[in-house]
Amino acid sequence: MSTSAPDTAVAPDTGTERPTTGELLEVTDLRTTIRTSRGPLVAVDGVSLRLNRGETLGIVGESGSGKTVLSRSIMGLLPGRGTMLSGSVRFDGQELVGAPESLLRSIWGPRIAMVFQDPMTSLNPVHRIGRQIAETLRLHLKLSKKVANQSAVTLLAQVGIPSPELRARNYPIELSGGMRQRVMIAIALACGPELLLADEPTTGLDVTIQAQILDLLAEAQRMRHMAMIFVTHDLGIVATRTDQIMVMYAGRAVEFAPTHQLFANVRMPYTEALLHSTPRMANPSHTRLAAIDGRPPDLVSRPLGCSFAARCPYAQDKCREESPTLVADAAEPDHFYACWYPRGSSTPVDPQGAPSVA
Amino acid sequence: MSLDAAAPLLTVRDLHVSFTRGGHTVQAVSGVSFDLFAGETLGLVGESGCGKSTTGRAVARVIAPTSGSVVLGDIDLTTCRPSVLRRERTRLQMIFQDPISSLNPRRRVRDIVAEPLDIWHSAKGQERTRIVTEMLEAVGLDPVLAAPCYPRQFSGGQCQRISIARALVMRPKILICDEMVSALDVSIQAQILNLVEDLKAAYGLTVLFIAHDLAVVKNVSDRVAVMYLGRLCEVAGADELYRSPRHHYTNALLASAVELDPDAPRTHAPLQGEPPSPLNPPSGCRFRTRCPRAEERCATEVPELREVEPGHLVACHFPVEIRDRAA
Repeated sequence: MSTSAPDTAVAPDTGTERPTTGELLEVTDLRTTIRTSRGPLVAVDGVSLRLNRGETLGIVGESGSGKTVLSRSIMGLLPGRGTMLSGSVRFDGQELVGAPESLLRSIWGPRIAMVFQDPMTSLNPVHRIGRQIAETLRLHLKLSKKVANQSAVTLLAQVGIPSPELRARNYPIELSGGMRQRVMIAIALACGPELLLADEPTTGLDVTIQAQILDLLAEAQRMRHMAMIFVTHDLGIVATRTDQIMVMYAGRAVEFAPTHQLFANVRMPYTEALLHSTPRMANPSHTRLAAIDGRPPDLVSRPLGCSFAARCPYAQDKCREESPTLVADAAEPDHFYACWYPRGSSTPVDPQGAPSVA
Repeated sequence: MSLDAAAPLLTVRDLHVSFTRGGHTVQAVSGVSFDLFAGETLGLVGESGCGKSTTGRAVARVIAPTSGSVVLGDIDLTTCRPSVLRRERTRLQMIFQDPISSLNPRRRVRDIVAEPLDIWHSAKGQERTRIVTEMLEAVGLDPVLAAPCYPRQFSGGQCQRISIARALVMRPKILICDEMVSALDVSIQAQILNLVEDLKAAYGLTVLFIAHDLAVVKNVSDRVAVMYLGRLCEVAGADELYRSPRHHYTNALLASAVELDPDAPRTHAPLQGEPPSPLNPPSGCRFRTRCPRAEERCATEVPELREVEPGHLVACHFPVEIRDRAA
């Protein structure tokens, strides 16, 4: 561990030693249904995933793909009325779906924390930021007011806020967007969580500030052996900062693979389309983008078959009739995709498993 | 009117825009000069608060510049009579970021698109319908289905198409796009960017493309101008600028951007801290407080945009050497 940074200045552990490896989170067939005036909307449709301690999972999708609802469903942060959750979320062996609120409350903060996209609406506008951080520490770690306030200042320093003693006395409105996101991260890290859910943590920030926040999250994760779920619409952000990536489309996981395998050997046409429609700085100007025609389906009246079939250039009759399930690649057992006619090197007998340049 | 190919269509010189609020003056734009040549796309890129949108608005005369000139053809839009400005402005149209709030929710698409025609009494009846149909087709909407609908019946990408149709209905020479794809998903963004390229070719448009996304700007632009705290840092051909940036800010900005490549070296954030307040900008070069190469001269002397290579302008006393581009 580096001694240069003031790590563990905030006593993240309340005594018991924590394991630093092993499985932390197992989600099985999670389904979130939201009641709407037009009928039930299945926002998350049978998603399963596993995450080990210290690892990072990226969940990527466009708006309406269900990535945010999934992350909130994992945490149990959904409005009770009108939403139905089924399936299983096991966090460190404990079932969270259907768990009493008292149990969830003891987990939110000290064990699972969340960083949201919009720091302005997630922070309380009428309380000083120091108090908002100290509040978490006093509630969960039972620190005295004085110690909690001091720890809040230390945390602000750790997330790179200059003159933290002064800043602790600021209100959220007095801070820039990047600074507010640092405060959100400080609150999330305050109790030393084992899992951090970051939902679009840098969307809305400028690139230079985004780079700073991504560094900060990576550093915090490394020092605390924290697992992280990074929810974003930007494949570029997760490309270099995750161990595995789940691509979501219309509420379903359509491809799930270790990050390198995903980029080296894209199987699902939607992932391919997403990659090809993203402008890249490495390409010369006026490079024609491969746009995906149409838009995602209406989740209230989901079409039969594959959700992407209507926009997929490779779709055949089977795609419009039968819904593909997530299957493991024959050559890469960690690489899952939901497609009847996958792209890339498919042949299970292919010994090289050569990454195709699609 | 000159037929000389090198004569710019639009010339902006020493543009200043400041806002006064509560006794404080914010210099949003301080001394921006550039040319826009017929048929090109000039990208204007920078972070929030750098004044890129204000520049676009001042050029379109949505807001009045404090000083400076904006010359379109041979008419100075900053000094001409209001009636002349009104007429000239039809040649210069703007498209905004939020496609939904820039369309009147209570009007039908056909009336939204035809509004400029109605204002100028330039087409009525069948002619009006014909032009609207043509414009909706040009932006990739089905005129029969779309024309009688209201904006709320469309997605963000489709609303942006309607905005484009409305902007093009007067056949402008110049299109100013202010963060027009920022609110859209990548798959929709690609559709709109391709559409802009197609329409530019079909209608002979000249485009000022303002955005914060470096990859998006490179994709559509012939030349790119980089802005920081109210001033231009660097102007160059798009490929040239991204290949060999000469201003330290451009260099840092490019290094901050994430690339879609898992093998890309994971560099640390090249810039620490945040831009200074435009209420009280640093003396001399505005980037000097965060610049790795800043020296005394940078605090005292404002660097002017100068040509370091043909077509490559940099406002820096100590430009980045081509070899020592930092990671």
